[in-house]
Amino acid sequence: MDRRSFIKLTAITGTSATLASCGNPENELIRFIPAEDIVPGVAVWKPGVCSLCSAGCGLTVRVMDADADVVRDGQAGVVRIAAAKKLEGAPDHPVNHGGLCARGQAAIQVTYHPDRITQPLRRSGERGDGRYEAVSWEDALVEIVSRLDALEGAGNQRALACVMRGGRSHRSALVQQFLARFGAPAPIAYELFGDDVLRRANGLSFGREQLPTFDLAQAMYVLSFGADFLGTWNSPVAQHVGYGLMRQGRPGIRGAFAQVESRMSQTGANADEWVPIRPGTDGVLALGVAHVLMASERYPAAAAGPAGALIEGWSAGLVDYSPPEVERITGVAADRVERLARQFGDTRPAVAMVGGPPLAQTNGLFTALAVNALNALVGAPGQPGGVFFTQQLDVAAAAQVASPEQAAAATIERLAAEGLSGGASPDVMFVDGANPVFTTPPAWRVRELFEQVPYIVSFGSFLDETSILADLILPDHSSLESWAEALPESGVMAAVASVALPVMRPLHETRATPDVLLEIGRRLQRPLELPWQTFDELLGASFTNLPSTSDFGAFFDAQETGFWSGTLPDSLAVAAARVAAPGPVAFAAPEFDGDAAQYPFHFLPYPSNAFLDGSLAHLPWLQEMPDPLTSGMWSSWVEINPSTAKQLGIGEGDVVEVASAHGTLRTGAVLSPGIAPDIVAMPAGQGHRSFTRYASGRGENPVDLLAPVTDAATGAPAWAATRVRISRVGPPDGRLILFAGGSREHLEEHR
Amino acid sequence: MCLTAFAGSVGCRLFAPDPVASDVAFPVLPGQSTGVFTTERPTVAAAVNDFFGRRPIEEQPFEFPHNIHVGKQIMCTVCHEGVESGPVAGLPSVSTCMICHAAIATDRERIQRLTALSEQGIDLAWKRVYGYVKEAHVKFNHAPHIRAEVECATCHGNIGEQEIAQRNVDLNMGFCVNCHNANSAPVDCLTCHF
Repeated sequence: MDRRSFIKLTAITGTSATLASCGNPENELIRFIPAEDIVPGVAVWKPGVCSLCSAGCGLTVRVMDADADVVRDGQAGVVRIAAAKKLEGAPDHPVNHGGLCARGQAAIQVTYHPDRITQPLRRSGERGDGRYEAVSWEDALVEIVSRLDALEGAGNQRALACVMRGGRSHRSALVQQFLARFGAPAPIAYELFGDDVLRRANGLSFGREQLPTFDLAQAMYVLSFGADFLGTWNSPVAQHVGYGLMRQGRPGIRGAFAQVESRMSQTGANADEWVPIRPGTDGVLALGVAHVLMASERYPAAAAGPAGALIEGWSAGLVDYSPPEVERITGVAADRVERLARQFGDTRPAVAMVGGPPLAQTNGLFTALAVNALNALVGAPGQPGGVFFTQQLDVAAAAQVASPEQAAAATIERLAAEGLSGGASPDVMFVDGANPVFTTPPAWRVRELFEQVPYIVSFGSFLDETSILADLILPDHSSLESWAEALPESGVMAAVASVALPVMRPLHETRATPDVLLEIGRRLQRPLELPWQTFDELLGASFTNLPSTSDFGAFFDAQETGFWSGTLPDSLAVAAARVAAPGPVAFAAPEFDGDAAQYPFHFLPYPSNAFLDGSLAHLPWLQEMPDPLTSGMWSSWVEINPSTAKQLGIGEGDVVEVASAHGTLRTGAVLSPGIAPDIVAMPAGQGHRSFTRYASGRGENPVDLLAPVTDAATGAPAWAATRVRISRVGPPDGRLILFAGGSREHLEEHR
Repeated sequence: MCLTAFAGSVGCRLFAPDPVASDVAFPVLPGQSTGVFTTERPTVAAAVNDFFGRRPIEEQPFEFPHNIHVGKQIMCTVCHEGVESGPVAGLPSVSTCMICHAAIATDRERIQRLTALSEQGIDLAWKRVYGYVKEAHVKFNHAPHIRAEVECATCHGNIGEQEIAQRNVDLNMGFCVNCHNANSAPVDCLTCHF
């Protein structure tokens, strides 16, 4: 027998023999008549919208015939359907220009996930034990309507709360309309790695309370403070495209790029120069650069305009931020500060950006304002190669409905604090797309709040830590099965509104959440009289009013291409923010939770390249994707500088205990030279208690260690402001999984 | 046996799940399937037959007489409509049968069975008669063959005279290559294997 036959025989007999006992369900299933006309073997590419993050990249979806397991009238069977099989970036989309990140590629697994919730469920066990019974849509809707009618009857409409993901979209506009018309407070948007601090700073400096767009393609010098713009921050695919053009898109010209951060990120690994800095002092370095530029008299302080006026001592040339002083505070050598400043000032156009850890400190707003002032000083705002703010569509204006009262929405932290101290607590809670139980510091006690809420409705597709507390689960379609839309906040110069028809029929007994809300609104004792029967009517009403030169109108054209792009008339654009400026701000030393003697290390959780804040940990393709810097997969780890590890007697892969004043966890150690000796870093996203078979019980959640520290101006969590201690527990025990052996092999090879 | 054990042990090593805390369980919810794994072949015998290239006669879910329909001058493409629009000819669903049989021969027992299935929304799980085993890695596309005006019978034999379709042309590589050579069609590996 030759080798080939041996392998073939082994494979055939091995799999067949092992699995013969499992039965053969596929061959016994009956086949249902397909509900659609399908040409077998022919692929059709349809436009789609990626829904995994708020960047709003356009998709092109390969749709082809496939057999799907379905249940019809209680009978299991197989039916031929037109199924989405592959996602790619839409070539003409103005945000991603044909690119798609690894997370977007894996988005297809949401639709076909084996642990997807397939039908409405009602809690049958104790709260949190995950026991549910099937319930019909009709019964579920009757139940939820009676709950809301009871609130209305008691005149207690304000006891309805809704927690959802941040970001502007037609969906969030619909939720706002629903809540406002019912009489409930505005929805609470929560994201652990949100950018509220930067939005607020941009509102103060430039009058645009939104994320910035960078014209990287034309930039010659980029100075980035902690912004992981090639990995997870802002609009990564758009920034990748721009970055590629900056480095290689202009014959003979290669833009330069320096990254300031205390742990090397994927972005930092691409930089020409990597500048390690003490946590929470990035703003001082930015002002040090500004100081040198102003001293050279090429850049007069007045050039920065209102953005400069927000910084104390700006007009006097920032005398407190001389390079030696900057060295004392930041740890960046004075001559390096001067050199960075020369490069930044002499290379035109240059742009600075800030995001991520520098803004997750107690002085985050100061840091963002300092970098904004530096940008304003060199004239980056609105100039080619600089920073821009994309026009934002005002959905209420486009759909011609009254905009709800803009009362400041509560934060989840305040909601929990108030509810648990005997104050107003929600009676009915809607949860849409957010998982605050997993992503809030434990000291906020969000889980306790949820346990106390009498009735929770989740619209989630998976049983995560928050929806497992729900009394009723009304599963949403996947974004491939329903109308998908996005209003990108950044990553593109012109305004963009993306929309896509469903690319395939729903696989399960799910319903689109916006349609469910509209249905509930119609059924209430006092109907909410939302002017749309279905979600696509809202989309149509909004898109029809967008400027278009086509005979068919903007909505028709957008369905064809997947997006509308252009200039919005002032009546449809979100007006510039009018934020009352506080007095000029000065550097205040960042405050860290935990005594420096007892907890000697800064703890830096960071959004995982695969899972972001953990909302994607249920997708097995992302679990098995090696981290670009450590090659870690299927697990958690903590990154430690080799010199620190040597002092503590920690080797690669050793089990270590990381403890803060708020929690303790054990995980594997990865020795990484790209991290400051007094910092330990850990990717977020793992450590789920309940989140499908792929993520449950895997790794540790760094959020469990976080102190309840926030940025005072915005209430955003200061997730980089916790101190920890670290100690070795034992030798490697297999909990750390690195791709291809990892760095230990590497170290041994180079010994 | 030891072969199987060896394969099993290799499989276990390759697919061993990572350490998962035992106190965590994800519940199976109503409406969710418990398994995502189906076997490649239903039985060991089927696997062995496959290995030796033996193809037992497939039992069809319904005794469709090709000879009657072809005898009534109905074109192959009326039912196998995919052949003119895509790479795969396709096996018709019950809805296709009912286009004619809603009115024709409704008194026959077989047609009544068909009507009953259609009313229940249940389709016929036809077994493919002609097709390549997966291991051959053949990507066959009907379109170029239709363009070259190759007769259906060239590859599908006297199927029009058969009562229940049976494979009587062995579509092995020699058969394909002979025809390709005779007609100056490309015989590059990547023409069919990609």
